[in-house]
Amino acid sequence: MTDDGRSALQSALAAEHAAIYGYAVAGAHLTGSLEEAAQRDWTVHQVAMDTLEARLTSLGAQPVPAQDAYQLPFPVHSSRAAISLAAYVEDRVAAAYLGVVAVDDPALRTWGAAQVRAAALRATSWSGRATAFPGLPARAPVKASAPPSTAP
Amino acid sequence: MVFPLLAAGCKGVRALGTPPRPRPDVAVLDDAITAEKLMIARYHAAISGSPAQAAFLTPLLAQHQEHAARLTSRLVNPRPASPAPASSPTATPQAPTLTALQAAEEDAADALVRHLAEVTPSLAQLLASIAASEASHAQLLQSRGGTG
Repeated sequence: MTDDGRSALQSALAAEHAAIYGYAVAGAHLTGSLEEAAQRDWTVHQVAMDTLEARLTSLGAQPVPAQDAYQLPFPVHSSRAAISLAAYVEDRVAAAYLGVVAVDDPALRTWGAAQVRAAALRATSWSGRATAFPGLPARAPVKASAPPSTAP
Repeated sequence: MVFPLLAAGCKGVRALGTPPRPRPDVAVLDDAITAEKLMIARYHAAISGSPAQAAFLTPLLAQHQEHAARLTSRLVNPRPASPAPASSPTATPQAPTLTALQAAEEDAADALVRHLAEVTPSLAQLLASIAASEASHAQLLQSRGGTG
């Protein structure tokens, strides 16, 4: 595999580490079926982390380690914020896998696209909304357009 | 002759070092833009046929319009409308159901990622992102009353 492929996988792994942290924080503020959903998605990211670490190791690369803690994008003290955090985390994961979509290896591109899709579906499950461009940065203002409403 | 803009945001790791491959990009873009126009026509028909669903469907329609705009912006010289599906007498003869929209979204999402290997890195990223968006639409349509 080329260096760009390894680098993209490392970025995806770093995003999975952050997602695992994010779901641990979110889950602490959720109860009942939402807590179960957070637990389920936390497990999905654990499995993805294991897969990426194994793949990188087999390529002779040293997998990037998790950090001790991560800066949260906003304070999380409520179930509502916890749900927003889960959706946020999934969009960051989608962004990282878009890096995998940009590599030259066709099989890796296809796999990356499937991960982007899975992350977007989880984000939609949490937020109840779809976004136009999961994982892509908001576009520079070529044409002013209202941001998607954040409040129901 | 139309060339895609390769300088759009979201550079792939190798984007700067990869020579342009314009022909597959243009063909794939054309197909994707045509598919978005068809989805827009379907949503217009669905909203007309079922105004009670307008509040639910309009945001999804707006996202398809964003998809079409961003795809079109990658063409230096956007074509002045191949016959738009909306104006074709054969397209969308009746309002699609939520189930039909769901199936169309799933098909569209699958079609977008079919040619990922042939296009430039930044277009591959855009196609994968739009495909993920449309899969999310299908998920919302399903929970709204489509089938699964």
